[in-house]
Amino acid sequence: MTADLNPGATTSAVVPAPATEVAVPTGSDMPRAVSALVFVRDRGIFVLWGLIIVAFSFWCAPYFATLDNALLVANAAALTAIFAAGVGFGVMTGVLDLSLPGTAAFASCVTGWLMTHGQPAWLSLLAGFACGALVGLANGLITLRGFNPIIVTIGSLSVLSGLAAVIAAGYTFPGLDALEFMGTHRYFGVPAPVFVVALLFVVGTVFLTRTRDGIRLMSVGGNSEAVRRSGIHSDRYKVLGFVISGLCAALGGLVTTAVTTEATPEASPSIIFNALTAVALAGVALTGGRGSLPRVLVGALILATIANGLTIRGIQPYWATVTTGALLLGSLALERVIQTSVSNRLMASANLSVHKKQV
Amino acid sequence: MTEHAPALELSGIDMHYGYVRALAGIDFHVDPGEVVGLLGDNGAGKSTLLKVMSGAHRPSGGAIRVRGEEVAFHSPSDAASAGIQMVYQDLALVDPQDISTNLNIGREILRKGPLGWLGFVDRKAMRKRSEAELDRLGVRTAPMTRPVEMLSGGQRQVVALARSAIRVSGESNGVLLLDEPTAALGYEQTRQVEALIRRMAGQGIAIVLVTHNLPLCYEVAERVVVLNRGSKVADVRLAETEPDHIVGWITGARASQFAAA
Repeated sequence: MTADLNPGATTSAVVPAPATEVAVPTGSDMPRAVSALVFVRDRGIFVLWGLIIVAFSFWCAPYFATLDNALLVANAAALTAIFAAGVGFGVMTGVLDLSLPGTAAFASCVTGWLMTHGQPAWLSLLAGFACGALVGLANGLITLRGFNPIIVTIGSLSVLSGLAAVIAAGYTFPGLDALEFMGTHRYFGVPAPVFVVALLFVVGTVFLTRTRDGIRLMSVGGNSEAVRRSGIHSDRYKVLGFVISGLCAALGGLVTTAVTTEATPEASPSIIFNALTAVALAGVALTGGRGSLPRVLVGALILATIANGLTIRGIQPYWATVTTGALLLGSLALERVIQTSVSNRLMASANLSVHKKQV
Repeated sequence: MTEHAPALELSGIDMHYGYVRALAGIDFHVDPGEVVGLLGDNGAGKSTLLKVMSGAHRPSGGAIRVRGEEVAFHSPSDAASAGIQMVYQDLALVDPQDISTNLNIGREILRKGPLGWLGFVDRKAMRKRSEAELDRLGVRTAPMTRPVEMLSGGQRQVVALARSAIRVSGESNGVLLLDEPTAALGYEQTRQVEALIRRMAGQGIAIVLVTHNLPLCYEVAERVVVLNRGSKVADVRLAETEPDHIVGWITGARASQFAAA
């Protein structure tokens, strides 16, 4: 009996025969089907957008597939994209920041107040961004106390939109023409907000995928306990997520102000819902740790493309809302199908690989 | 300085929770390259002892020595910097990130030059380093760029073990504390993890293995320490005992080796 159970005891100090050569299956054990499915999951939205463009190019010919119309779509998508980036940063870090419209209104009213009180535009803008960062900091620090981020940010949404109205004393700050350079101005024929969006998404993507802090930020969203056990203050990264999200909201508010040349304290909830639609369409899981900014951008572009194409065809705009809603539900279903079929296939290959593997 | 000191030595560890005495005068040591099984029934004090070793709990009395030098752990990070790493039952991997990122988080390699000042990481260098480290452990992995969520349970366990092993096997070999490392694994995967544990010990890492699984102990451990109701009742080399005796110590049916003392 002992002898049967005991083979390892006497030899354990010696490194055993290379039984571990197969400790983890190597190399190309990922079936091609799985790679294809993962491609659809990660890149499918780009394909979808391409298909929509092709379809509209025929259906709405000759007005859709023109450079001017492309710029129109890009400009229309710009504001949604900025707010979607804010929501996306939050969601990837594992929090849903609902205070974005409030932050945007607050930041633009602070900027508007400063500008109408004789401050230069750059200082006023800086103050607006500082407001966004501070709001994010406050949201983050409150959430760290163990409160539910959704409730916290709903609270700060109320506080901020109220404060914005207080600053504006119930009115708006009209005639902010000094912000025209980031609003209606065109550079090389391209509207300024498009440049803002391009810059934001390039910087954001590089940050999240290439830098230490960005990768840690994503990892905290995926599993903050794992990051904490690696000796990192994961709490700091949670707060950082809120701060970046607040900065995006401020940027969105300020660009809106620049486009309309008016700072308004109205915190429209449709901002957050459009942004959330773009993020969800991009397949960014609300559980955090996944997703990519380019996909979020394409999500925003899809919304604008559909609205634009249907408008060209003279179809009433609420059909655009119906279409995006249907797309969103469809993408959820697709994701579920991919998820199950990937895990089924991986399961099959894992069971196989243990036995047939020769390294 | 002390060449032959145990990698980790506890002497006379007492632990009280209010009136409850969870540990009573436990002596325990593990040498470099040794695998010690820590056995005991539920509530015997295994987890408490493990938490003392990993710095999560401060003992009410007794001394902890790492490589012969007395230390006081105020937090798990103190233990970690002394070269003691705990591998938890929930593996705590970042699922959406790839293997390389999981192995390198907290010790990233930055790129040289201005990009490095901006915090850009050198993914290639990190992958290379991790590959070398895994080769040293004798663990062949899936590609470094594979997300952890696409690994099997056994592969994840190997990644989690490797992550901790890498962190303790720097300049001096440290101590790995494993809590039921094969609890969630199937037969084949268990064999793989067992082989990895022996291999890590072969590299000079001291390993404390907390488990209910007697066959696992026989596969990988040289010595077992049995706790019963907060006291050490046995400390034997597996070659010098038999399973029935160990079960007796675990259940309390067999008298403590240290009873009459």
